[in-house]
Amino acid sequence: MATQHSRTAARLMISPSVLLLLCWMIVPLAMTVYFSTLRYNLLMPGSNPFVGWENYQYFLTDPAFLTALVNTLLLVGGVLIITVIGGILLGMLLDQPMWGQGIVRILVIAPFFVMPTVSALVWKNMFMNPVNGLFAYLAEFLGLQPFDFLSQAPLLSIIGIVSWQWLPFATLILLTAMQSLDQEQLEAAEMDGAGAFSRFIYIVLPHLSRAVTVVILIQTIFLLSVFAEILVTTNGGPGNASTNLTYLVYAESLLRFDVGTGSAGGVVAIVLANIVAIFLMRMIGKNLDA
Amino acid sequence: MGRITLDQVTKSFGAVEVIPPLNLTIDEGEFVVFVGPSGCGKSTLLRLIAGLEDVSSGEIRIDREVATHLPPAKRGLAMVFQSYALYPHMSVRKNIAFPLKMAGMDKAEQDKRVDYAAGVLNLTDYLDRRPGQLSGGQRQRVAIGRAIVREPAAFLFDEPLSNLDAALRVGMRLEISELHERLKTTMIYVTHDQVEAMTMADKIVVLHAGVIEQVGSPLELYHTPRNKFVAGFIGSPKMNILEGPVAAQHNASAIGVRPEHLASSAESGTWEGRVGVSEHLGSDTFFHVHDTGLAETITVRASGEMPLRHGDRIFLTPDPDKIHRFDAEGLRMP
Repeated sequence: MATQHSRTAARLMISPSVLLLLCWMIVPLAMTVYFSTLRYNLLMPGSNPFVGWENYQYFLTDPAFLTALVNTLLLVGGVLIITVIGGILLGMLLDQPMWGQGIVRILVIAPFFVMPTVSALVWKNMFMNPVNGLFAYLAEFLGLQPFDFLSQAPLLSIIGIVSWQWLPFATLILLTAMQSLDQEQLEAAEMDGAGAFSRFIYIVLPHLSRAVTVVILIQTIFLLSVFAEILVTTNGGPGNASTNLTYLVYAESLLRFDVGTGSAGGVVAIVLANIVAIFLMRMIGKNLDA
Repeated sequence: MGRITLDQVTKSFGAVEVIPPLNLTIDEGEFVVFVGPSGCGKSTLLRLIAGLEDVSSGEIRIDREVATHLPPAKRGLAMVFQSYALYPHMSVRKNIAFPLKMAGMDKAEQDKRVDYAAGVLNLTDYLDRRPGQLSGGQRQRVAIGRAIVREPAAFLFDEPLSNLDAALRVGMRLEISELHERLKTTMIYVTHDQVEAMTMADKIVVLHAGVIEQVGSPLELYHTPRNKFVAGFIGSPKMNILEGPVAAQHNASAIGVRPEHLASSAESGTWEGRVGVSEHLGSDTFFHVHDTGLAETITVRASGEMPLRHGDRIFLTPDPDKIHRFDAEGLRMP
């Protein structure tokens, strides 16, 4: 692509796909913004008058909104902490030479391939169910009262389920990062008198910082929009105890059929996601610089 | 301090014995070079001394104390790695101070020692940089700095110059030799480059397949190689080894003549051949001589002015006092 001519040709060639992608993104966004300014309820068909900021006012003053916001942040933060720490520990275990390494690695990665609805249902019915669940059996075996996870600690239970799904991803990325660590560096640190713990703190962890950053950024994008796990386990309840922003938007637009307020919630969610992204890049973005 | 003794040390990886029983004494303050072709076990031997590999049997003593099963940090040795193994996320100052920090030394003493090492190695201006911002030679010096701040009983160098370009290598060679003069600490240096070995060592250990072929000063090895392997390995270009009738004339199974101990002439001499490739170095010219009937190629060193060209006839005369004789086992005959 050296000459002026070939560059022009290249631009012409990619323009259709660029235009298509642009429409793909712009049209839904524009329609969401547009709907968010209308009184648009599917239960009251007919005219959809322009109401300005009214939908935003309803959404932001809804008592469920603050709960949902806090829940969203708790969910994202909790899963991030569990998966990053767990991923580092699992990665270190899997980095050890052992018999059957290949199979063990596949087993570790397996949860990532189970779709969210299925894994949430398996957890709900086979593990956390207070009557038939494995945890209930275990509690009874130990002579304890079975714990009803999804109604006693709904948000914690969901954090657990989502962490289980994302742990393999974090483990995989951190494991490959660990394997790229120069062994001579560890040997040099050993010669320098660093014990196993010091080697981990001063050599391994700094080496992993970039991989940890990638894990945090990618997971945050997906964790802000966790939905299926909540829908099939708690339906956001009891009350609003496990409702996050995504689920609140769903409840507004498809349970209360209020497309206008739902759209307003969607726009609010976009803004909040960007605020989170800015904070994240401020805090850990420098790790990505070479 | 700084005397290292290996007593019947062996090393096996699974069923493969890379180092058969081996004895070696390294005296205090000596500059010892382990040299040998790649895969001869010289790096393994160094790692055994460092404690990065466990010995399979035998005993290692450092300053008369048995160190066979001591962890690397407790042996009081410092090592410079081939890849330098600097910590990329730490500044040069922190890199050099790392062993001191691990030893729990107080901050003021750390700074003092780092500044001293930086002064010795001309690193004072770079103390706040990261290793990634340094050139190869500077990284090498940081690695050495990290070793000297600990004031170890001995330094171990694992092919430290092999990643540098030729000019820098010569410079660093001098710097390391000078450092040894200055510190008077025992140094063990591993290399496959016999020029490095010859120029730096007090004592050279020639290794071949895990076995010590000969131990001695550079000139001892050059003048009286114990066998054909050492004869061929030490000296550049390689010694010419001749077998057959010409060796029988000297009552040996093989004779060796170094290129610099052959007189060359265009008119007359003992052996006759044809000039192949000639390598002009300015001061000297190396002729690769073919069709002598003695060996496929004989290398000879001539003065830079010798006017022979490709295909010319050349006559060679060996210096009779400098012929090395070897018996059927390849050992030197007196």
